Amino acid sequence: MNLNINAQKAQTYDAIVVGSGMTGGWAAKELTEKGLNVLVLERGYEIKHVEDYKTAMQDPWEFEHRGKITTVAAEEHYASMFFSAKEGSQFNFTNDKEHPYIQKRPFNWIRGYHTGGKSLIWGKHTYRWNREDFLANTKEGIGIDWPIRYEELVPWYTYIEKFVGISGQAEGLAVLPDSTFLPPMAMTAPEVHFKKSVAQKLNRPITIGRVAHLTKPQPWHTAVGRASCQFRNRCTRGCPYGGYFSSLAATLPAARSTNRLTILHNAIVKEIILDDHDQKAKGVRVIDQNTMEVREFYAKVLFLNAGTIGSTSILMNSKSARFPNGLGNDSDQLGRNLMDHHLAVGARADIEGFEDDYYFGARPGSLYIPRFRNWGNDKKRDYLRGFGYQGGAARADWSRGSTEPGFGADFKKRLTQPGPWKMSLTGFGEVLPDPNNRFYLSPDKTDKWGLPQVVFDADFSANDRAMRKDIMNDGAEMLEAAGFKNVTTYDNPAAHMGLGIHEMGTARMGKDPKTSVLNKYNQVHTCKNVFVTDGSAMASASNVNPSLTYMALTARAASYAVAQLKAKNL
Amino acid sequence: MNRREALSRVSLMLGGTLSAPTLLAFDRWNQMTPESRVNSPSILNEEQREIMARVAERIIPKTDTPGAIDVGVPAFIELMLREGYTKPVQDTFLTGLGDLAGKGFLTASADQQTTLLKQVEAQTLANAKAGSVSFWQLIKELTVWGYFTSEAGIKSSFDYQPIPGKFEAIKIRPGQKDFMYGNQV
Repeated sequence: MNLNINAQKAQTYDAIVVGSGMTGGWAAKELTEKGLNVLVLERGYEIKHVEDYKTAMQDPWEFEHRGKITTVAAEEHYASMFFSAKEGSQFNFTNDKEHPYIQKRPFNWIRGYHTGGKSLIWGKHTYRWNREDFLANTKEGIGIDWPIRYEELVPWYTYIEKFVGISGQAEGLAVLPDSTFLPPMAMTAPEVHFKKSVAQKLNRPITIGRVAHLTKPQPWHTAVGRASCQFRNRCTRGCPYGGYFSSLAATLPAARSTNRLTILHNAIVKEIILDDHDQKAKGVRVIDQNTMEVREFYAKVLFLNAGTIGSTSILMNSKSARFPNGLGNDSDQLGRNLMDHHLAVGARADIEGFEDDYYFGARPGSLYIPRFRNWGNDKKRDYLRGFGYQGGAARADWSRGSTEPGFGADFKKRLTQPGPWKMSLTGFGEVLPDPNNRFYLSPDKTDKWGLPQVVFDADFSANDRAMRKDIMNDGAEMLEAAGFKNVTTYDNPAAHMGLGIHEMGTARMGKDPKTSVLNKYNQVHTCKNVFVTDGSAMASASNVNPSLTYMALTARAASYAVAQLKAKNL
Repeated sequence: MNRREALSRVSLMLGGTLSAPTLLAFDRWNQMTPESRVNSPSILNEEQREIMARVAERIIPKTDTPGAIDVGVPAFIELMLREGYTKPVQDTFLTGLGDLAGKGFLTASADQQTTLLKQVEAQTLANAKAGSVSFWQLIKELTVWGYFTSEAGIKSSFDYQPIPGKFEAIKIRPGQKDFMYGNQV
């Protein structure tokens, strides 16, 4: 008996955070800094910052087959192929063969099951939402109204931005509110020309990409062991300098320094344990991914930060007499309204001239063109919402030799010099919430751990397809406005939902428990000590990269949770 | 998404610079253990091996800097070919070598070899079909990739900068070599 009680004590924490990625790292940092003993459960293997970035400092000739992209990706990394197509970082992307899922309609599910999750391999573009983003649903009668407004997130945005470190240029645009910035990265000469031309001829502002890189580290960055970006652009191998923001480089070290953090790896959360008395979560049941051993851990408050699909799956798999369809799922919205950003569509051009211009360093970022469609005085389009672009101008390198005609001494010499300038633009379009875009747990197919496989049943809509036409045409129009040559557009038919790696919306927040899973503090309406603060909570998608908003919501929810704990409300 | 779709996506990512069989080849190579590589049977006879090496050397000849043979490109190509490619693609490659053998490539002078290869290149361009791969395309992309990712190739061709430390727009200097950052992998 005593043994039992002691064992239970040893497995009890103030808070449990499921996942160590972008938002899990923030939940761990905030909750430990506010005095809680926190257990972080990471389903994947351990990666130690710096020492486990095995390929970070390798030269091309040190890679066994010269870093060539391989169709290992086609066999084992279907979904992440588009991104992991480099030998130096392929292992940082989860293998689809070992972690299968079902595509009722095609969906690319890209994952990073290891310490730091996808914060190790993210694109690092970091933007605030704008006021309209929070109002669009209610103005247009789409989905449900957000229970919060931009103004409520402002202090949290500011708080997050300072710690993260975001390089960028303040522009004073309503469509793309400024963050607190570190110095911006430079533009190449054709990019400067492009920006000027598009401003003059089309009245569209262009700014340098706002990316989570330290261009001028502040004391609180160096305090956790981070240093300046070195402009190597080998980010997805892991950055030994901590030059870009990741859980590994920033939030987890901050949490660790409180001495109140415990991280358990290889710990797959199977379900939340519900206390029948008071309908609160008691803890979680966990499977060790290697030994299959099942253990339980207990806490007063749970934070789900397993990534949108992961967190929502855990809720779905947590069934009880009170919640026969999954924890907190009285509304039947769990798994529905799955959104992403649609991309792999845009325009390209060749650039004549600028032969005397070059650049030193590999910039881990691009230009950013904020949304201009269905915005301000723009004539109403045949679709709702809008899109932004990322892209830029660079000189071709030696790999052009694979397709450029010619061979011999001159050919060889030519390839040692910077090639012609080229520019490309890729659109990022907003996807609308639709209850029929969803995923659910398979009733009969399980994975290696006996957990139900995820079934994706979602696709782009007519709204998305109409928008893609504009993304191509507007992109071409801007490249032409700059006088660039051989302008072509592209729309990759292989692009499916999920490829944006911005999956979100499957446990949305709202005012009404009948139509939403979470309240305005990311708290499950019907199970108050469970918080979900990753992409699951989103009621709409905006067209800007979402990580900053997830992080702001997480810090806000953590602050609220601690206050509620102190007030004995949980 | 199926395999072909995944492949098309990779070539799209690269701006379509590599043929699908080459992508496939890198894959198989990746999956082989070093032992099995050593022990896998050769598919080139001496003459074919010699022609392949000579063609690679014509594509990237030794000048004031090392050539394809100096940096080990032929071994790289053979390895890829032997262990990576499907039989039809291997056959395409062998047929290409056979055509050159039939035209007396090995006994030709350097100039004659160049002329022969120019003909091959012109024919390839004239007969290019979407979705099919040619001998010329295969040997050229393998030579270029093998050479410009080798240590000697990189160090003699480029201004290699593994840790630039900054990013700035600059004016080019006369004779400026490409900065190589080694991030293509």
